[in-house]
Amino acid sequence: MTLKRNNPPPVFGVDGVEYIEPNRFILDNGVELFTMKSGDQEVVKIDFSFRAGSWYAQSRLDSIMAALMLQEGTKTLKASEIANTFDFYGAQFSSSSSYDYNYITLLSLKKYLHHLLPLVSEIIRNSSFPEEEFEIVRQKRKQRAIVDSGRVGLIAQKGFLRNLFGEGHPYSPVGSPEFFDTISLSDVKSHYDNFYRSDNMTITASGFVDSEVIQLITGNFSSTWGNSDTAERENIQQLPIADKLVFIEKEGANQNAVAIGKLFPTQNHPDFPGIKLLCTILGGYFGSRLMSNIREDKGYTYSIQASPISFLHHGVFLIFAEVKTDKTEATVKEIFHEMEKLNSELITEKELIPIQNYLLGRILEDFDGPFARAQTFSSLREVNLDFEFYDRLIHAIKTTTPQEIRELSQKYLAPETMSTIIAGIR
Amino acid sequence: MIQFEKTILANGLRVIVHTDRSTPFVAVNVCYNVGAKHEDSSRTGFAHLFEHLTFGGSKHVPDFDTPIQNVGGTNNAFTTNDITNYYITVPANNIETALWLESDRMVGPKFTKKGLEVQRKVVIEEFRQRNLNKPYGDTWHLLRDLSYKVHPYRWPTIGLTPEHIEQATLEEVKDFFFHHYAPNNAVLVITGNITPDHAFRMAEKWFSDIPEREIKNLAIFPEPVQTQGRELTVHRDVPIDTFYVAWHMSSRLDKDFYAADLLSDILSGGNSSRVEERLVKGQKLFAEADVFLSGENDPGLFIATGKLNDGVNFESGRQALIEEVLKSAETEVTPHELEKVKNKVEAEQVFNEIGYLEKAMQLAAYEILGDAGQINRQADHYRNVSADDIRKVASGILRPENCNLLNYLSLKK
Repeated sequence: MTLKRNNPPPVFGVDGVEYIEPNRFILDNGVELFTMKSGDQEVVKIDFSFRAGSWYAQSRLDSIMAALMLQEGTKTLKASEIANTFDFYGAQFSSSSSYDYNYITLLSLKKYLHHLLPLVSEIIRNSSFPEEEFEIVRQKRKQRAIVDSGRVGLIAQKGFLRNLFGEGHPYSPVGSPEFFDTISLSDVKSHYDNFYRSDNMTITASGFVDSEVIQLITGNFSSTWGNSDTAERENIQQLPIADKLVFIEKEGANQNAVAIGKLFPTQNHPDFPGIKLLCTILGGYFGSRLMSNIREDKGYTYSIQASPISFLHHGVFLIFAEVKTDKTEATVKEIFHEMEKLNSELITEKELIPIQNYLLGRILEDFDGPFARAQTFSSLREVNLDFEFYDRLIHAIKTTTPQEIRELSQKYLAPETMSTIIAGIR
Repeated sequence: MIQFEKTILANGLRVIVHTDRSTPFVAVNVCYNVGAKHEDSSRTGFAHLFEHLTFGGSKHVPDFDTPIQNVGGTNNAFTTNDITNYYITVPANNIETALWLESDRMVGPKFTKKGLEVQRKVVIEEFRQRNLNKPYGDTWHLLRDLSYKVHPYRWPTIGLTPEHIEQATLEEVKDFFFHHYAPNNAVLVITGNITPDHAFRMAEKWFSDIPEREIKNLAIFPEPVQTQGRELTVHRDVPIDTFYVAWHMSSRLDKDFYAADLLSDILSGGNSSRVEERLVKGQKLFAEADVFLSGENDPGLFIATGKLNDGVNFESGRQALIEEVLKSAETEVTPHELEKVKNKVEAEQVFNEIGYLEKAMQLAAYEILGDAGQINRQADHYRNVSADDIRKVASGILRPENCNLLNYLSLKK
């Protein structure tokens, strides 16, 4: 039998996603512990999340610096002793900060957890913020910010957020590396004292989480710590009226960076699932309209994307590309042209069906394995959603009609509502 | 331990299957034994340009992306100095779509003038984005060119200059395909939610009719032993002075590789490493410093680099890092240090056994090196390294006449 290469093999749709809810435990101090057990490898990942992101910071970088200082010493251990313990057991420890949350993550072989969890507990409760280490971390980050300030892509993305949120807003990146000189150790320390407390923490454990592991976690994290009377910060800074066009000069740029977008609904908004589909059509996958037009047809760029980005309190829509300098104007024109097309023409079934299937495949990936499931669960929980969000997302993907897609586009992608930020040369 | 089964089709295609029931997906990974090192020195960047071109469709498939999206999958590829690797992940029941596409890529791409024209532009923009428009983006061009005089590791995968890519013709592209893309020059690895039996049957169905082809590789001459230290200084529009020190070392499967790898970990793997403790935190000379291996298949480089802190004298900072590295050729590492880096390697190997796609790529990479079974012997190779081995390997590598020094200085100073 000869093979018929012209005939594609049959296509099987994604018919259902197995969510598998995590197990939920409440520790004696009220902390919630979620566990996702599966896998044969004796590896455990434990995430500790705190409502302690830049949203809560007194001054813009306090939250990031607090996260970075957590491996730099505790009341009983020096930075070198902490580093040596994690390294000796081959564990990966990270402490990071984002817009709304700060995180601590430990990835370890199960057999070493009893050495490592007491150390993580000591770090969360008793970090000492030594001055010498603080200066080293400050210097390191400032140097990195100086290097980053030469990259047009980052210049445009930061300029984009500053334009939407205004100087000083917690979601607005700081303007210059010199800002690092203004951070005070005592502010950073109080950020830690105020927000890394037991009643502000959630634990998610995934992988080989058997009863022994659960016992180790409860044994180390069940008592109460921190000032539970710290008032929650309400951030009510007024957003500015964003400029429609911002040009940021970067001498000698070899490519220009283009960022186009606006404030957008968050993930909690009822329209979000439909918006997700809409943004995917425009610039959310390799075969998207922006990629097909600006990369695959014209070759102006290596890559271009459009995405809805959701923080807890605001969302943004961002189209981003680094382009050939003399094709900057042409690229911007094509981007607006693609938005106008979505606003006026109906998408064909031929284009829509593969996008639906593609998105269903990505959803399947969000639930592929314990680590992915735990990550999906946590990121929903952070914005006060649960797996029911995926029911709505799947429904929107499967049932949103071409007419509804055009209506969503008219509602959310009106060209005159967009801001355009260009970094590079004129 | 990663269990796998292997068979070889009549046309020479090696097929490897690993079952992982923890995922609803399968990965179809095709690795070709062709990378930047197989290029003509006047036509560099070709393997990578070619990777881009193959996504423009093939003999019987008008475009690659739509059919993959249509079955809920993803696909991508990468090119290194040694290999070109394509991969598709799909929900397991759609494996045939992935095999249909990858086998047709092997049958022959659709070569069009327009496709070539556009991808030349895209790759040149990639060149600009990654190498020309980014601070320190030309580091690897400089360091490779300084360290290699004969071996084609002299250029990075993106190529020596955008001109080579601009000049590529359709004829050359076709030649390149028929000389390198063939079942007998490739490895197909299937991992994920599938039995070996089923996977082998599917591989046979889609790949067995592709004819064996004559592979025409340019001779790759080994890099001659370096007999004199080299130094290059450049000034660029960057904010911070940096430098790279590169010494020639063994190939990937040489027994010395493992000792060198552990040494680089002792020197700079993790916050408790020597360089981090003594030079970054102790003497506060660097904002960042790193010691690492280029890790390629043929004899590679052992590299030390640092970005100096403001106010630190360039030469004394550089000297401090070089001396810290050289100490390991004189005195043995401590038993505690050795145990620590071995634990780290052991843990990393277990972590790496979790992703089905990562396993597919690793199995393919080891098979290209000669034997996929190497994947399960790595742990032993590392475990068997002694402190004495590390000192001996260090003293073999870290000789002044084997050393290449790149000073990358800020124009502002």
